[in-house]
Amino acid sequence: MFATFRLGMTWLHTWFGLVLGFVLMVVFFFGALSVFDREIDRWSVPASRFEPQPLPSFDRLLAPVFERIVPDAPDLAAARDRVTGPLPATLPVMDYSVYTTHRDPVLQLYTSFGLPNARDPGDHIHGHVTLDPRTGAELPAQARKLGSEFFYPLHYGLHLEWKELGYWIVGLAALGMLAALVSGVMIHRRLFRELFTFRPRASTQRSVLDLHNLTGVVALPFHFFFALTGLVIFAGIYFPAGTTVLRPLHDADERREAALTGLPLEPSGIAAPLAPVDAMVADAQRRWQARGMAGEVGFLFVNHVGDAAATVSVYRAGTDRVTLTGEGIHYRGSTGELLREDPPQGVVGGINDFLTGLHLQHFRHWPLRWLYFLGGLAGCACIATGFLFFARKRRERHAAQGAGGLRLVEALSVATVAGMGVATAALLVANRLLPQTLADRATVEESVFWLTWLATLGHASWRASPRQPLRPWIEQCAALAVLTLLAVALNAVTTGDALWRTLAAGDWAVGGVDLALLGFALVAALVARRLRRLERDRRASVAGALPKGFAGDAGRA
Amino acid sequence: MPDALLLTLALGASCAGQACLALSLESHWRQAGAPGRRPPAVRMRATGAGLLVVALMLCLAVNHPSIAALVWIMMNAVAATSVAATLAWRPAWLRAPGRLLADRRRAEGV
Repeated sequence: MFATFRLGMTWLHTWFGLVLGFVLMVVFFFGALSVFDREIDRWSVPASRFEPQPLPSFDRLLAPVFERIVPDAPDLAAARDRVTGPLPATLPVMDYSVYTTHRDPVLQLYTSFGLPNARDPGDHIHGHVTLDPRTGAELPAQARKLGSEFFYPLHYGLHLEWKELGYWIVGLAALGMLAALVSGVMIHRRLFRELFTFRPRASTQRSVLDLHNLTGVVALPFHFFFALTGLVIFAGIYFPAGTTVLRPLHDADERREAALTGLPLEPSGIAAPLAPVDAMVADAQRRWQARGMAGEVGFLFVNHVGDAAATVSVYRAGTDRVTLTGEGIHYRGSTGELLREDPPQGVVGGINDFLTGLHLQHFRHWPLRWLYFLGGLAGCACIATGFLFFARKRRERHAAQGAGGLRLVEALSVATVAGMGVATAALLVANRLLPQTLADRATVEESVFWLTWLATLGHASWRASPRQPLRPWIEQCAALAVLTLLAVALNAVTTGDALWRTLAAGDWAVGGVDLALLGFALVAALVARRLRRLERDRRASVAGALPKGFAGDAGRA
Repeated sequence: MPDALLLTLALGASCAGQACLALSLESHWRQAGAPGRRPPAVRMRATGAGLLVVALMLCLAVNHPSIAALVWIMMNAVAATSVAATLAWRPAWLRAPGRLLADRRRAEGV
């Protein structure tokens, strides 16, 4: 097999890194953007550019909106295949929920609808609206919140919803990444000795490997724990025992839990109105305060709406610690009587909540949020330099053998790294250019993203050549710099929120996105310039005029 | 003391600690142009570790331990990257801490 253990680990690291690296690059990049998903939401939906708000009155403002929510059209269309016979015009309402965080100016309201005659008795669909909590006005459905509704699902599910395929691919990539990290540590001969080593003036191959090692090792705990906690969050999908072989046990446990907690599992069938929910929320806040906890509501859930068995559950927005904490307090919906206060989690539940919270970052801590963002970008840099190292190491040998596989790898690398950035920037430009009233605005925006990304792959395949291997990188980095600058300029022109105005007004959400875009533009321009110099020097060295300082590259060539 | 100031001090301690750890390696000691051929490795590593502990204490003074631990880990990643970048482009900036902790007798060749 392999002569030494280290050679085996090198093979594992190289091929796991290459094959899964394309997926991991997407996961890391959009994961880094998702750290600021709510801020990107505000940038992409100008109507939501105001300060985050606490939960407004349920009884006066939210209840009438919940009553108006209808099932989401795509959910409804998909549900028709899961029922026997036609669906009734009005579906029975099961539950209401409202969710907010300390970074959300707008509120998300969800309603679950039961599916009569469904093949799976528990099957249901959702309807949702986004609300301005100051006025109760609904945001137009075509206003897509790019951060939380496009980048974030792309991070964990790749928008491949069929059979939850995206979750499985991302899970496989995360598992492969754990193996790549461990094998990477094994093959790195001088982990501490070279921890601080970066030689930008050495040969390209050397400096790229230095950067790969640096970004991989300094953020190793971040890379490891994010891959691990990502897997923990979706463990229910990857090990679906509870909904398959252990379904009877799961159902029995659900009934046992309902009996234990006093929160009914099924509606009673007797209609009953809901008691004032605002009084329950105020009571829950008093109870949290008595325990010395920050008392903002993060999640409110009304189960069995309109039934005598209705319950209202109020959860805390746990912003003061890492663990995903809720300290739920539950009330009888028809009377407002206190049913239960959630006890502290056990050891297993506590570990699960901590690992989930570590990944989902509900805490209120801006420096840590920025550090997470940088950790995600370090992961991108590590993967991108891995691609470059792989290609550079094999370029001459493959060219001599006339093998074409490397050209495909290089084109995919360019499209996955630079092309993904170009597509994202094009999406932001489209977001600022398309009319707000356009009916299919969200679909058009998405099409711009996917088609641009496809075009970058076409461009990389067309422009790459053994003579000028860096040309597609240079051109796409330049395009990225131009498009990100254009996005910042268009934001100023179309909304009046120029960078200096947002910063002067202390609007760090919109101003911060603009600043980050300018940062991306600067890095892309610097990379393009550096690669252009390298390409020029490489051509000169091939022509015989070897410049000083590139002996390493030329020697290998 | 305001939290921002404490966290800034923590970042400073973390950068200084990582710089000491880097300078405890012979190649970086020479790269920075610190006195003598070899660094006082044990002293540099002990000082580096001590500064990292100070950074952790400062983080713990600001936040709940779960958040403080995360801030410290990620802060160290940024600090290590900054030290690597300084060694790559401005190695002389690290000469001063090297001089401060240098073994004078060894530096003078005694």
